[in-house]
Amino acid sequence: MVSLDENMLVKKIQEGDQLAWRDLVLRYEGRLTNYAQGKIKDHASCQDLVQESFLGFLAKINNFDASRSVQSYLFGILSNKITDLLRSYGRLRTVETPVDSSGNQKSSPFIDPAMGASTWYRGDEKKKLENDALIKCLGLLINQFVQRKDYLKLKSIELIFVNGLSNLEAANILGIDNKTVASHRHYANNFIIDNLKRMNLSPDIFPHLSEQDQD
Amino acid sequence: MNITKATLDAFIDDHLNEQETIKVEKAVRESPELQAQLSNIIVSRDMGDHSIGAIWRREHLSCPSREELSSFKDDALESQRIDYIKFHLETVGCKACKANLSDLNSSKDSLTNPDTREKRRQFLENSKILLPKKQ
Repeated sequence: MVSLDENMLVKKIQEGDQLAWRDLVLRYEGRLTNYAQGKIKDHASCQDLVQESFLGFLAKINNFDASRSVQSYLFGILSNKITDLLRSYGRLRTVETPVDSSGNQKSSPFIDPAMGASTWYRGDEKKKLENDALIKCLGLLINQFVQRKDYLKLKSIELIFVNGLSNLEAANILGIDNKTVASHRHYANNFIIDNLKRMNLSPDIFPHLSEQDQD
Repeated sequence: MNITKATLDAFIDDHLNEQETIKVEKAVRESPELQAQLSNIIVSRDMGDHSIGAIWRREHLSCPSREELSSFKDDALESQRIDYIKFHLETVGCKACKANLSDLNSSKDSLTNPDTREKRRQFLENSKILLPKKQ
């Protein structure tokens, strides 16, 4: 959720206000440093990464989307920087693109050949629209659960969507039966689909909504 | 643990708890199929594709606010909300909220540490030239 206060701070920084910049750094420095320290033990490196994240934020301040949360944006920049640093240490979790003996990148043997030009097109053309719509739908859904104090549903779909667990795994964690979790998932998917339709967007833009309902 | 595309998505975003992360890392190392799936997800993300989970994680959509975390720390919320925030921190394993809470618990120390203050002062001094020019 974006606070008015936060928007005002960003606006002042966009106008070149040094005190607002200082305020933003003081406000977010601690939580960002703690986040980095959860992954990198060297305190000096953490501080450097946090400062680089602030610089990354400042470099794009004039294009900052006011509907986004500053905290989420800063955590995103920092998370990418941490990944880059870990990659340089050889602690990359993801699969590297293979290189030949001369060090040139080879095309990945893992790329799905079925991923065609339409995927590229969709990614370039509609990404922001889809993102914004889904953020709004999910926000409404979460808010509804919180207002109704329906935390069991929120927990179910958080385990499914955020942690990527199956219905059964989520059910085991929550100590409820599989069918109840499936009904929570079904409810969430329908809620999102209905709201996408209200925004005149096709639910087909998120094909996994129907896929996820099946397992 | 059943590793689905959504699990790999959460793994890439570093949003699994420690035990789940270890399990997924081990499984990916041992399975060429999972490596292929992981690689495909990365490629499709680079091309602009996105999932509900990725958007939820990136935007921290269910994270309690900083103010609410502060009340949580002081045990000043209603029991159902406290139970949910505990779940969000411990079971979902939200690292951003853990960082926020940890900062709330140690904010006095970090503000008064002379090295941190000096480094911050230098940073603010050096970075102010990058601020947009006043109109």
